[in-house]
Amino acid sequence: MGTLELDGVTKVFPDGDGEVVAVDDVDIEMRDGEFLVVVGPSGCGKSTTLRMVAGLETISSGEIRLTGKHINDVKPQHRDIAMVFQSYALYPHMTVRENMAFGLEESTDLSDDEIDERVTDATGTMGIAELLDRKPSDLSGGQRQRVALGRAIVRDPEVFLMDEPLSNLDAKLRSEMRTELQRLQDELDVTTMYVTHDQTEAMTMGDRIAILDAGELQQVATPLECYHEPANRFVAGFIGDPSMNFFDVRRDGDTLVGSVFDYPLSASTLDDVGDVTDLILGIRPEDISLAGDATGEHTFSTVAEVVEPMGDENTVYIRFEDAPEGETFIATVGGLQQVAAGDEITVEIPEKTIHLFDGTTGKAVHNRELDE
Amino acid sequence: MTRNTDTGGDSGDAVADGGVTENPNGSGFSPIAALNDRFGSDFVESSQFWLPPFLLVGLFVYGAIIWNLLISLTDFNSFGSPDYSDLDFEMYARALADSAFVDAAVNTFVLLVGFTLVTLALGLGLAILVDRNIRFENTLRTIYLLPMSLSFVVTAQFWAWMFNFNNGVINIVISSLGFGRVDWLGNPDIVLWAVMFALMWQFAGYAMVVYLAGLRAIPNEHYEAAKVDGASTIRMYWRVIIPQLKGSTISASVVLMVFALKAFDFLYSLVGGYRPPNGVDILATKMVREAYQANEWAYASAIAIALFLMALGIVGPYLYYQYTRGNL
Amino acid sequence: MNDDARTDGGTASETDPGAAAGALSGVDGYRVFLYLGLFGMLAFFLVPIESGLVTSFKTSGGVSGSFPFTPPTGSTFTFGKWGTAFDALGRGLVNSALYAIPATVISALLGSFAAYGITQSNWKPKYKAPILALFVAGIFIPYQAVLVPLAQFWSTVPLEESLSFLWGLGINDDYTGIIKLIVTHVAYGLPICTVLFRSYYKNMSEEMIEAARLDGASIRRIYRRIVLPLSGPMFAVVLIYQFTQIWNDLLFTLVLVQTESSAAAPIVLILAGLGTSLEGQDFALRMAGAFIAALPTLAVYIAFGEEFAEGVAT
Repeated sequence: MGTLELDGVTKVFPDGDGEVVAVDDVDIEMRDGEFLVVVGPSGCGKSTTLRMVAGLETISSGEIRLTGKHINDVKPQHRDIAMVFQSYALYPHMTVRENMAFGLEESTDLSDDEIDERVTDATGTMGIAELLDRKPSDLSGGQRQRVALGRAIVRDPEVFLMDEPLSNLDAKLRSEMRTELQRLQDELDVTTMYVTHDQTEAMTMGDRIAILDAGELQQVATPLECYHEPANRFVAGFIGDPSMNFFDVRRDGDTLVGSVFDYPLSASTLDDVGDVTDLILGIRPEDISLAGDATGEHTFSTVAEVVEPMGDENTVYIRFEDAPEGETFIATVGGLQQVAAGDEITVEIPEKTIHLFDGTTGKAVHNRELDE
Repeated sequence: MTRNTDTGGDSGDAVADGGVTENPNGSGFSPIAALNDRFGSDFVESSQFWLPPFLLVGLFVYGAIIWNLLISLTDFNSFGSPDYSDLDFEMYARALADSAFVDAAVNTFVLLVGFTLVTLALGLGLAILVDRNIRFENTLRTIYLLPMSLSFVVTAQFWAWMFNFNNGVINIVISSLGFGRVDWLGNPDIVLWAVMFALMWQFAGYAMVVYLAGLRAIPNEHYEAAKVDGASTIRMYWRVIIPQLKGSTISASVVLMVFALKAFDFLYSLVGGYRPPNGVDILATKMVREAYQANEWAYASAIAIALFLMALGIVGPYLYYQYTRGNL
Repeated sequence: MNDDARTDGGTASETDPGAAAGALSGVDGYRVFLYLGLFGMLAFFLVPIESGLVTSFKTSGGVSGSFPFTPPTGSTFTFGKWGTAFDALGRGLVNSALYAIPATVISALLGSFAAYGITQSNWKPKYKAPILALFVAGIFIPYQAVLVPLAQFWSTVPLEESLSFLWGLGINDDYTGIIKLIVTHVAYGLPICTVLFRSYYKNMSEEMIEAARLDGASIRRIYRRIVLPLSGPMFAVVLIYQFTQIWNDLLFTLVLVQTESSAAAPIVLILAGLGTSLEGQDFALRMAGAFIAALPTLAVYIAFGEEFAEGVAT
């Protein structure tokens, strides 16, 4: 068990004559037993961050501490860390038992009997006891995944690192393993850093999410905080599917002026905005609702261009009446509400659900209200 | 509430330096840590694997070449040992004035280019034939490549017999077609081409294997797309397929040229001695003859350097090409 | 010849544009030409070997009195040339095996070491590249460029004195040549072995090696427990390729053993001078000798043709 601290961690790769900063001054503190999901688009530096913790990449600057101990220069084999790889990286010439025993043989002085006992224990936990004498080539994808996890568990390390471990599974297995992983992590209570690009995994599995973009840490917070109180426009757009709608607006007195609509603000929202004039208005698709008529100050006349029925709800691509064709935003409305392409509909964008971001820095200046 | 990135207070560099002093290897300067720091974390630990082979190759290949260069600058001949105190380019001047050297250089060049071209052409033809969904593919391929597994010494015996004036297969075939017999190995104007033909026999299978790998790497869709576009088979190969075999051509050419430079074994065995038939003396045979028959060590070294430069002229650009494509 | 076959293939398949994929195969006239080409080439590659084989069984009279490619008849048939060739080459077979086998095994092992150390360990690519380039360039060095120093080098190494206990056992001291050949072939075979193994190790899963590191294994243990057990297929390729190269090489034997009359003379050295004398050439004997010298490599080639092809194609 351990705490893991990343302090100003930076990774610079040489690129031809110049340099590329893959990870830029990242600070993360993980408490003992925490499950942290690191998420971001591909190339954001999330895997590099994980590999620096593992010791597979050198650290250009900054410091990584494991339970208070500085580990920058400790070789991966001495870090007491176990990692689960995207490809599982099982040793193809060894049986499941040998695969799982390998790490204990190499990193501990345990006797053969003790190793055997721990391997048997771990296979019990993972439900793969009957596979012990098979080779990886005789296993299904899901079974390999379990062996890979078992190989990490049996080591009883201070920290688990997982690099997109579920991305090679089909959708059904993936959701099963997601639950299984959460159960395991609860049970073992080992500090875990989990890298993924899948936001469902990020939202459902982690105690906290760390969101990276272009090497920079955008936000570290619980999943719901990231969803409802995004630190900036990137986080707001990255978390949530379909993603948040954004409109470039300018503040004119107490009104936001967009290209085809005006949106009046209340005094308390204006307080948050302060003296910023270039703004981005964000609204999540599910917060847009159908309204009877366009009489409210936050109701708008629109045209539904495309309707995608999903059963439980409809995803509707709508545009403001005055907007050119094709310039749409998304609303999700209940599956029983009848909306057809071409319909003229009135929608409400409630003020308490809007987010406002600084148009130049992207920082959130106002987040939605939550009833609590 | 949200926890945004707060910019780290302490500079990263200071932290990294702190790390080095905390190195468990102990206090003070550690040469191993310094080497690893400069070359990468596994440099020292991995050297137990690559360093001994590297030293062996470095000594025997590159050390020997430098030594050879030195010897070529001396006047070392007959028995005794070279005198390194008096170095000059006398041997190179002698080579340029030696018409036998110039002839050998020309022969080497002609053999190199001619052999490579005909072998590539035959190999490509074979590869295209074999690639066309044929039966017995494995058997045919095995037989086409078979001469490659034989020693130059062995193939020289076969071809000495094939080219025999009275009883050789080739003369018997052409005389049965109504042509006169040809003294393949005795006529200085012909012998180079005869040798080229024999070497082509030995290495066409190799070119075929390389081209076949190249052809198999081309997706089937390319053939089909060309067909749908209405290209004839010839035009399909010429315009679509062969241009994609550039990589195969380059690597096969380099290997073939190097084999041609090494054709010494073949020529020596053809006659069972240092003196190949008139008209086919190449640098490789002349070098060995000067060294081991005439004991003109320094002169032989100078010829060896000429040969080495020729090889370098072929391999250098190839290595650079591989390097720029990230294959090194 | 090949061009004809393909020309006809082209016109024939154009008449059948409907089967775009099937057009590459199927049309009869074109198949006839295709197989004519293929079997014509088969004859081209086999005639020298066939002619050598039948000739090796002929008496001297049979050699001059019959076509070189017809089999011997009753009166011109003899095993005599094979017998003579075997008497002359027998010790050469043993001598060649004495250095070819150890040199093959050692160069393959060292090549695997070198490739592993360069490919699967973590140090800066900009320093790896020149080392690798030196290995690759080593493949292409004409041996002539190192012959004189090589002879000088071996003349300064006091092999004969340091191994005197062997000569005391009744072993001919010419056998120093075998030791020289082993070391020399290892050194000059290493580049190709290294490059072959490197291409194999480059394709090995990087994550698997990283997993082994995180499992606590050192670089040496990873080689011993992961990489070496998984190198089997490449060892087959390298061993086969190296064996044929070393067995077949004449130049080093000429320089390091020198005379075919030496007790340690390898088979290629004896064969190169076999059947040539002042009275003329005994082709039947030369052919029989050629086959005896080729037998080991031919056997290896026929048994492991796929691996050999992979070795040469890389």
